[in-house]
Amino acid sequence: MVGILSYGAYVPIWRIDRSVIAQIAGTGSMGGERSLAARDEDSLTMAVEAGVDCLAGLDPKEIDGLYFATASSPFKQKLGSSIIASALDMRKDVCTFDFNSSVRAGTSAVKAALDAVKAGSAKKVLVIASDHRVGRPGSQYEQMFGDAAAALLIGDNGAICEENGFATVSNPIPGPWQTETDTYLRTFEPKLDRLSGVLGDMPTAVNEVLGKAGLTSSDISKFALAGPDPRSYRDLARTLKFDPKTQMEDPLFSSVGVTGTSHALLLLVSALEKAAPGDKIVCVSHGEGSDAFLFTATPEIETAKREHRGTKYVASKKMVPSYGRFADWQGTRDTGWPPRDMSSSVVTFWREERWAFPFYGMKCNNCGTIQYPLGRSCINCRATDNFEEVRIASKGKVFTFAHDYIYDHGLIPGDGVTPGTRVVSDMEDGCRIWLEMVDCEQEAVEIDMPIELTFRLLHDKGGYRFYGWRARPVRG
Amino acid sequence: MKKSIKDRVAVIGTGVTKFGERWEKSADDLIADAVLAACKEANVDLQKDVEAGWVGVAYDSTGTSGNVMTDPVAFYGKPVTRVENYCCTGMDSFRNAAYAVAAGIYDIVIATGVEKLLDTGGSGLKMDMMYPHNTLIGQSAPGIFAPGALRAFKEYGWTKEDLARVAVKNHHNGVKHPKAHFRKEITLETAVNAPMICYPLGLFDCCAISDGAAALILTTPEIAKDRVGSGNYATVKAVSQAVFTKYPFNDPNYTGISVPSTVQAGVSAYEQAGIQNPRKELDFGIVHDCFTFAELLHYQDLGLCGTGESADLIREGVTAIDGDFPINPDGGLKCFGHPIGATGCRMVAELTKQVLGKAEGYQVKDAKAGLAHNLGGPLSIGMVSIVGTPEWEAGG
Repeated sequence: MVGILSYGAYVPIWRIDRSVIAQIAGTGSMGGERSLAARDEDSLTMAVEAGVDCLAGLDPKEIDGLYFATASSPFKQKLGSSIIASALDMRKDVCTFDFNSSVRAGTSAVKAALDAVKAGSAKKVLVIASDHRVGRPGSQYEQMFGDAAAALLIGDNGAICEENGFATVSNPIPGPWQTETDTYLRTFEPKLDRLSGVLGDMPTAVNEVLGKAGLTSSDISKFALAGPDPRSYRDLARTLKFDPKTQMEDPLFSSVGVTGTSHALLLLVSALEKAAPGDKIVCVSHGEGSDAFLFTATPEIETAKREHRGTKYVASKKMVPSYGRFADWQGTRDTGWPPRDMSSSVVTFWREERWAFPFYGMKCNNCGTIQYPLGRSCINCRATDNFEEVRIASKGKVFTFAHDYIYDHGLIPGDGVTPGTRVVSDMEDGCRIWLEMVDCEQEAVEIDMPIELTFRLLHDKGGYRFYGWRARPVRG
Repeated sequence: MKKSIKDRVAVIGTGVTKFGERWEKSADDLIADAVLAACKEANVDLQKDVEAGWVGVAYDSTGTSGNVMTDPVAFYGKPVTRVENYCCTGMDSFRNAAYAVAAGIYDIVIATGVEKLLDTGGSGLKMDMMYPHNTLIGQSAPGIFAPGALRAFKEYGWTKEDLARVAVKNHHNGVKHPKAHFRKEITLETAVNAPMICYPLGLFDCCAISDGAAALILTTPEIAKDRVGSGNYATVKAVSQAVFTKYPFNDPNYTGISVPSTVQAGVSAYEQAGIQNPRKELDFGIVHDCFTFAELLHYQDLGLCGTGESADLIREGVTAIDGDFPINPDGGLKCFGHPIGATGCRMVAELTKQVLGKAEGYQVKDAKAGLAHNLGGPLSIGMVSIVGTPEWEAGG
């Protein structure tokens, strides 16, 4: 029985009220709020977070493939999935593929993973879809988009829901698009795209998958539909003849936004969190056509609910104080800070991959002290070349801290005006470690405060992107 | 340790430039001024008499190599070494020069140091050299001490006011020193309410970014007597240094309220000088008050009081210039700023002036011997030098 073994999600903690954006744009507000990646987050860091959530309690070494889907890769050329796989401490022979260029890439990656498992070339494949799409200031996208990631572990043993059908439509509709040199997404005639594409292709795919299974829309517990805009849901419900009040998974528009490749999977995760055994869920994406899946929850679904945060990340939030902060983090306003012309050695970063991505430290074989970073000698008992490498625990508490207004390591958590917080932390495994603190107001930080690790962009000196782990308050 | 350095090296000349925002002076100008002044005071001819040089320079932006001191004074054909050891750079220049004399290799040498911090712009010290690794986070200089201050607040009940008292005291002392960067009294309220630099350290908890240079002429006590005569030279009683981890915040033994490099440097220096109780046997101290909290940290780490009692010393005026054990009678780094390469040499010059009774306007009464202390890097490098009159002996 091939299907979903585990799920996870990630939504950045930050939200902005759409009316704040509308006020600056001089347009109407679409209502509600949208999620927002902090300055040190992008599609890749959010993907790692969703992966961590999905793999809670599971062994990353047992996974054979990592498929990363995004329409907003931080690199034009560089394999995001290889970085994510390392950060999640996967094997070196894990199959890493990136699925790009369309918001449909998330479901495409799920299809590829299911096929790999069915074909027997992999036992378990982790699919992560993540997007941090920046809308042109003043455009509808600026309000509409939200940042989020979702992860599904696909496999054939112990599925919490099984896949019962798939249908797809490919259709080169005009828009939206982004050329090689475009900074922002463009559209020519959104109404044409909607009528000819989304409202045609999504129902076509859904009806085909339902028809093949001998079902009608009334047999479906939840439709996890990722439409391109809030208006599309109403139209889709009407066309597909289902009750939007009871049968449609909340598209999270008023709380998160349109989240690109991750959207269909995020809504599927949301549906799975509430599903009972036997529930049938249709998951549908769009993007130059449409992919539709039919899933049925198994009795195992109940066991999955304990482990994951999933859409709890939607409720866990803080508001950004201003449009200025929003623009700084979106990168749509150039404050000239931090300086981007500093160089940094990519060689040392490569050499230190095990400190940086999977976050290995060392455990002294003589005195047992767990410490970071990896080195030659024990900081405590001074034994040399006598240690084993261990991953540092992901949770701990603050021993002491500082709010630093003047240190700029290239991309500190603040905005250049607010301070960067650094904490001396005692992790649950006893490791003492100095970490940068994010997602946190200064006043909230105190000695003994619980913290957890979060994967972030550390800095981008020399035009490269250096990723690693920071601390944040434990999220609900 | 085979042999103590005690009384084997004499300081016969000191040269210290005005510290501050020396926009108009280059590193060459500053070091030339300091070197020439030291030679004049020592009654030596740089070209003829001085056999070797050490020059402390922390930042490559100030200069690199022994050449930092050669060209400004045309000191050619001699061995000159650049020294860099974080904030101990200047004092380590002195240590290396002193060892060369104590080893009997040279008769007369120069220890000097300079830093041109203002030329590089920006705020705060540049710190990127500390952690060239991309994956390790750094911090500002106050960021090294702020976490400890919060621990001390929690563990000992020290307060922002206690930190401010250090600033008020040192600014009071600095008023009298003609070479200080800042020569103005401040109030407790000003210090407590100053803008935050690195919580909980505010503006007046931090020393300034300053330019400056200092130089010392060192020789043997025998030659000293001949060159400058009795009463005009001091002898080195101890010079110690200890290096610990550069990852203090990753160290399970880190407490924030005691710095092992300072403790070890103190222990080692007291042993060299034969001191059992520094508070009783020494007359004053010049400690590394890069931050007000740091000064309090050093009181207890240097054994001047018990653990947690530093705040009592500042509250009770023990470390005021007219107190029982004056600390930073010159005004300290708080008033001089901290041109890294120069600071340690300047501190030894201050010790020398004090024990010779030549610290006009800021003289510690009956000063016969005192200590100077530096703390460099991320709490990693401690240094202590003790200088006294040739007659001074521990236990007095």
